[in-house]
Amino acid sequence: MTGLVRSELRKALTTKMAWGMPLAQFVLAAVFAAITGGFLLFVDIPGADGTPIPARELFEDGVLARMTYTGGLQVGYLLALVLGILAMGSEYRHKTLTATFLAEPRRGRVVAAKVVGLSVVVVLNGLAHLAGAVVGGGIMLLLADVPLFPDAGDLAGVMLRLLLVLVLWGLMGLGLGVLLPNQVVALFVGVAFAFLIEPLLSFGITFVDALADAARFFPSQASTAALSVFEGVDPATAQNMGFNPDQLDWWAAALTLLVYAAVMTAVGWVLTRRRDVA
Amino acid sequence: MTDAPREGTGISARGLTKTFGPLRAVDNLTFEVRPGRVTGFLGPNGAGKTTTLRMLLGLIRPTSGEALIGGRRYADIDRPMQVVGSALEATGFHPGRSGRDHLRVLAATHGIPDSRVDELLELVGIPAAARKRAGAYSMGMRQRLGLAAGLLGDPQVLLLDEPANGLDPEGIRWMRGFLRHLAQDEGRTVVVSSHLLSEVEQTVDDVVIIANGHLVREGTMDELHGDPAVLVRTRDASALADALVRSGLAVQPEGPAALRVQTGDLARVGDVALAAGQPVYELRALRTDLERLFLDLTEAPEHSNRNRLPEEIDR
Ligand SMILES: Nc1ncnc2c1ncn2[C@@H]1O[C@H](COP(=O)(O)OP(=O)(O)OP(=O)(O)O)[C@@H](O)[C@H]1O
Ligand SMILES: [Mg+2]
Repeated sequence: MTGLVRSELRKALTTKMAWGMPLAQFVLAAVFAAITGGFLLFVDIPGADGTPIPARELFEDGVLARMTYTGGLQVGYLLALVLGILAMGSEYRHKTLTATFLAEPRRGRVVAAKVVGLSVVVVLNGLAHLAGAVVGGGIMLLLADVPLFPDAGDLAGVMLRLLLVLVLWGLMGLGLGVLLPNQVVALFVGVAFAFLIEPLLSFGITFVDALADAARFFPSQASTAALSVFEGVDPATAQNMGFNPDQLDWWAAALTLLVYAAVMTAVGWVLTRRRDVA
Repeated sequence: MTDAPREGTGISARGLTKTFGPLRAVDNLTFEVRPGRVTGFLGPNGAGKTTTLRMLLGLIRPTSGEALIGGRRYADIDRPMQVVGSALEATGFHPGRSGRDHLRVLAATHGIPDSRVDELLELVGIPAAARKRAGAYSMGMRQRLGLAAGLLGDPQVLLLDEPANGLDPEGIRWMRGFLRHLAQDEGRTVVVSSHLLSEVEQTVDDVVIIANGHLVREGTMDELHGDPAVLVRTRDASALADALVRSGLAVQPEGPAALRVQTGDLARVGDVALAAGQPVYELRALRTDLERLFLDLTEAPEHSNRNRLPEEIDR
């Protein structure tokens, strides 16, 4: 099994994705953290009663840092999803699955090795993401005279949970890559779902009372909740910022994502075992 | 540790069948591949060769029947790359990964060291190109890389699907010599598929010929050649025939002034003619026209190519 995992890691580290993806994570996280930080620290937003006030007066420094550093969460998990899709999709696309299964015909083990290998790769990419976030967001915090790490323990917890969220999105991608063996289609569907359909849908039903509860379990909201980005924030303010104030606890949110990841991985496992490789 | 036998790993297909929708790509195919020999797996395009090899390797699930290598299904072989190596048609390489890294990815699964990878790249003749991205490889280089992948685990059995495809004449000669070396010098079991009998006739010991998913012939190359025969042309054919029969040879007339003698021994026929005082105008070994035989076998009406349009078959 260690040999299979090493094989998967070699796959991940011997193409352009090995440096292209972490670079993208670093740059995009830096940009989004800087934009989020700039918005929070230098722009007026509507307060609880609707009158515009500087955002930094609404939040404690700890919350400001947390929100700034996680500003790139959505692009982060989107790229993790892409990595997951590619882990299987590229084997279908380039017909390397034949060689993979000849080396290990017990396909369940191949999927297990992919789960482990992908998790490691996503964590490495996640570290690049965090580094970018600290650089991009840190510049803004410095400019606004907010301490870089107001509550280091809290921030460390948030960052670890961000890595977890990225890994779970990666596993959702892995399953999607098997479900839709045409890699281009899988990428299109995955990105469209994660970036357009799902957020719109989950934002939309926030306004439908009967369904508002369900939106909390959507992947995008669960991801935000898993980082407790809004912990210590007045619910009305969160709503004014366009977020569902009624979020899951971080552990419940993480568990929700885990269920999605497990279901998608199981789908991938079943299909991989049954399919002919021609 | 592997409990795979190093010697004498044969292959057997028993009632192998695969249907793709309405198409029976492989139909109740039963054959044996004897250990330590080179077997040609032959059939025209679309006969089902690749599908059969993929079933042998557990990549395609048979609709019915089973395929065993050394008595076991491929999926049940521990450390399979050390028992069976293969180079299949349409095996892909990631275009952005170097050939060497492609092999290293596979080597990792079996704990095979990089030194072995470099050794094989040297052996198949692409040590320099192997560090470039595989997307830029020519067909011949891809074939060689595929072969190197099959040999990584130093397997006792090799399954090669049309390995000569895309090779230049020099490459084909190299491939032939290489296969002979693997089988004769190293005693490996080799199965090599082809849609041309002539391409492999100098290389293989045995043949398994299929057409439209059916087995049409299985046996040794010698059996395919048939019993050796000699054609001799003389002035008085019946006088020579008597002399040959007296010396213990079977004879049939072949046209007005020629005889077909059941022997491979040209000198013996010449000696008998000399002793009988008959002039010899022509004396040659009669070779079975294998290409003709192959066509006869695979184009027989019951195997007429199902991939052709109906009106073409009528013609
Ligand atoms: N995945 C598939 N789905 C549907 N039909 C298939 C599939 N794979 C093969 N076939 C069909 O099965 C038949 C046998 O194909 P196969 O590739 O095994 O032939 P082959 O003997 O290897 O031919 P060639 O000499 O051209 O490589 C063909 O008619 C082919 O079209
Ligand atoms: Mg073929």
